[in-house]
Amino acid sequence: MIRLQNIEKVYRTDTIETLALNSISLDVAKGEFLSIMGPSGCGKSTLLNIMGLLDTPSKGDIKISDQKTDHLSDKQLAQFRNQKLGFIFQSYHLINDLQVLDNVELPLLYRNTTAKERKMLATEALEKVGLSNRIKHFPTQLSGGQRQRVAIARAIVGRPEIILADEPTGNLDSAMGNEIMDILINLNRNEGTTIIMVTHDENMAHKTHRLVRLFDGSQVQ
Amino acid sequence: MFKHLFKLIWNKKKQNFLLMSEMLFSFLVLFAVFTLLVYYYDNYKKPMGFEYQNVWVISYNNAYQTKSTDSLNTYYEILRQNIKAMPEVRELSFCSFNTPFTNNMSQGRISYHKKPLDHVNFYTADESFPATMNMQILEGRWFNKTDVATKNKPIVINSDIKEQLFGKGAAVGQLISNYDEKEKMRVIGVVQSIKMKGDYAATGYGLYQKTDTGSLRWMGKIMVQVVPGASAAFEGHLYKTLANYMKNSNVEIEHLTNKRTSINYFTLVPMIVLSIVGGFLAINVALGLFGVLWYNINQRRGEIGLRRAVGASGGAVSSQLIYESMILATLSLIVGSFFAVQFPLLNVFDLSAGIYISAMLLAITFIYALVFLCSLYPGRQAAAIYPAVALHEE
Ligand SMILES: Nc1ncnc2c1ncn2[C@@H]1O[C@H](COP(=O)(O)OP(=O)(O)OP(=O)(O)O)[C@@H](O)[C@H]1O
Ligand SMILES: [Mg+2]
Repeated sequence: MIRLQNIEKVYRTDTIETLALNSISLDVAKGEFLSIMGPSGCGKSTLLNIMGLLDTPSKGDIKISDQKTDHLSDKQLAQFRNQKLGFIFQSYHLINDLQVLDNVELPLLYRNTTAKERKMLATEALEKVGLSNRIKHFPTQLSGGQRQRVAIARAIVGRPEIILADEPTGNLDSAMGNEIMDILINLNRNEGTTIIMVTHDENMAHKTHRLVRLFDGSQVQ
Repeated sequence: MFKHLFKLIWNKKKQNFLLMSEMLFSFLVLFAVFTLLVYYYDNYKKPMGFEYQNVWVISYNNAYQTKSTDSLNTYYEILRQNIKAMPEVRELSFCSFNTPFTNNMSQGRISYHKKPLDHVNFYTADESFPATMNMQILEGRWFNKTDVATKNKPIVINSDIKEQLFGKGAAVGQLISNYDEKEKMRVIGVVQSIKMKGDYAATGYGLYQKTDTGSLRWMGKIMVQVVPGASAAFEGHLYKTLANYMKNSNVEIEHLTNKRTSINYFTLVPMIVLSIVGGFLAINVALGLFGVLWYNINQRRGEIGLRRAVGASGGAVSSQLIYESMILATLSLIVGSFFAVQFPLLNVFDLSAGIYISAMLLAITFIYALVFLCSLYPGRQAAAIYPAVALHEE
C-alpha cells in the first residue's frame, strides 16, 4: 500500500541542519494496522507527514498504491490526499467556528459532492464514532475524547484507504484513549482501512499488527 | 462552498463586525464623493448654452439721477448708440446684475396651476440680450418693441422651467403666476437653459423679464459682444468713453472668459479637497483591510494547514480567503446601499436619481476592487503556508 525507500529528511535553518529521518525504508501492506514508537524528537511526525504527502523528503522515494508521488503538482497532491488519505492529530485540529457536522463535511467540500450527499455521509460517519447526538455543537462545547471522535469522523467521511494518526490518544486519559483505539481497530477490521499510528503508549501499540521503532531518525526495529 | 463560507463568516460575526463597519463607512464616504463628482461631471458634459469667449461685462453704478423717465431713456439710448457705433462692438445688452459667472442671484417662486416652483432665477434683460449672448430660442420668440406692459406681463422661460411645468407640451401662451399668485405672466418664448454658474454647475430655472423704464433705474450691467481679438487699446478706449459719459460712476470692464475661469476654480477647489480626503480615506481603509486580512491569516494558520491536509490546494486556500472578503464586502455593501438609496427615494438634495445610482455603482465597484486587491496578497501568502509546518505549530 505504502512503500518508502531510503527516505531522508533534513531540516535546514539558518544555523543548523537537523537530520530528522535517516534512510528509512518501510513497506505497509494493504489492510495493515501499523504503529510507530520512539522517543520525542526522533522523527515520528516527520515520517507520518511524509507518508501523508504533507511534506516532501530530502531524498528517497514514496509510492502509495503503486503510484509514485514526486512528480505530482500541488493541485494533484491535494486531490490525492483528499481521495486516499485521512488524518488524525493529537490536537484534533477542528475548526472552532464551525459546528461538528460542518467540521466533518470538510474533506467532502473539496470533492464533487452535493450538500445532501455531504450531510448524509457526515451524519453516517458521526454515527460510527457514536456522536450523532452532537452534530449541532461547536467543538469548544465538547470534551477532548468527543473532539477526537469528531476528528476521526472527519478522517473517515471520505472513505480513504489509509488513515494516518499522530498520537491520537496523546491528550486523552486511558479510558478515553481505549475508546478511540477501539474505533480505529474496528475501522481496520471491518472496513479494511490501512492505519498508521504514532503513539507513546506501549499498550496501544501492542494492539496493532506491527510496531516500528524509531531512534534519532533511524529505524531500529 | 459558498454556504460553507457563509456559515464560517456568520459564526465569526463578532470578529467580522469591525471589518464590515470599516467597509460600510468607506462605502458611504465614497458614495458622497462620487455623488458630487458625478454631479459635476454630468453638468460639465452639458453645453454652456451661450457665447462667452468674446463677451465683456461692463459694471457701472447708477449715476444719472433724474425724475424724468424720458430723459432717463434718452440718456441710456445715447450710450447704447455710442457703444454700438464702435467697429469692435457687435452687440450689446442692458441687463440685471445677475450676469453669468458671478455669485449674484435673484431667486423666487412661481406657480402654475397652484403648483409652486422654487429656486427660479429672475433675469431682466433688453431686446438684444439673446443676440449678445448667442442664446438659442427654442420656442416662440424673445421680447420686441411690441411687448408693452399689458395685463399679463410677457416673459421668456428657459428649457428647465418648460420641462418641469409643461413637459413635452407647448409653453408659449401659457400663464404662470408669480409668487403670491396675484399676477399672471404670459409665456412668449422658451430659450435654451444656460450654465450661468460655470462649467460644473447645473443650469437651473431661469425666467426673463423685459427691461422697462423703471428697471433702468436700478440696473447696472451691460453685456458687450466684441469682435474676436478686440485689443486692449480698444478696451481702454471703451473705458474712457464710458467714464466720460457717466461722470461720478465707477466703471469696470470684465471678460467673461476670466470670470468663467475663476468661478470654475471656486467650484473645483472643494471638489479637489473632498477627493483628496476621500482618497486618503480609501488608502486608510485599504491598509486597515490589508492588516486585518493579514492578521486573520496568521490567526488561521492551523485551519489553513488542516484544509490543505484534507484536500485543499494552495490555490483553493487563496481563493477561499478572497471569497470570504468578497462576501464580507457584499454584506457591507447591501447595508450601505440600503442607506444610499434613501437619498434618491427621499430626494434629499434635489439631484436626479441617475446621479445617485451612478455614484452608488461607482462606490460599489471601488469597494469591491479595493477589497479584492487587499485580499490578493494575503491570499497568496496563505497559499504558500506549508501544511506540515502549520499543523505542527498548534
Ligand atoms: N519544521 C522544522 N524545522 C526544523 N526542524 C524540525 C522541523 N520539524 C521538526 N524538526 C526537527 O526534526 C526532528 C523530528 O521532529 P518530529 O516532530 O518528527 O519528532 P517526533 O518524533 O514527532 O517527536 P514528538 O514525539 O515529540 O512529537 C526534531 O529534532 C525536530 O526538532
Ligand atoms: Mg510528533
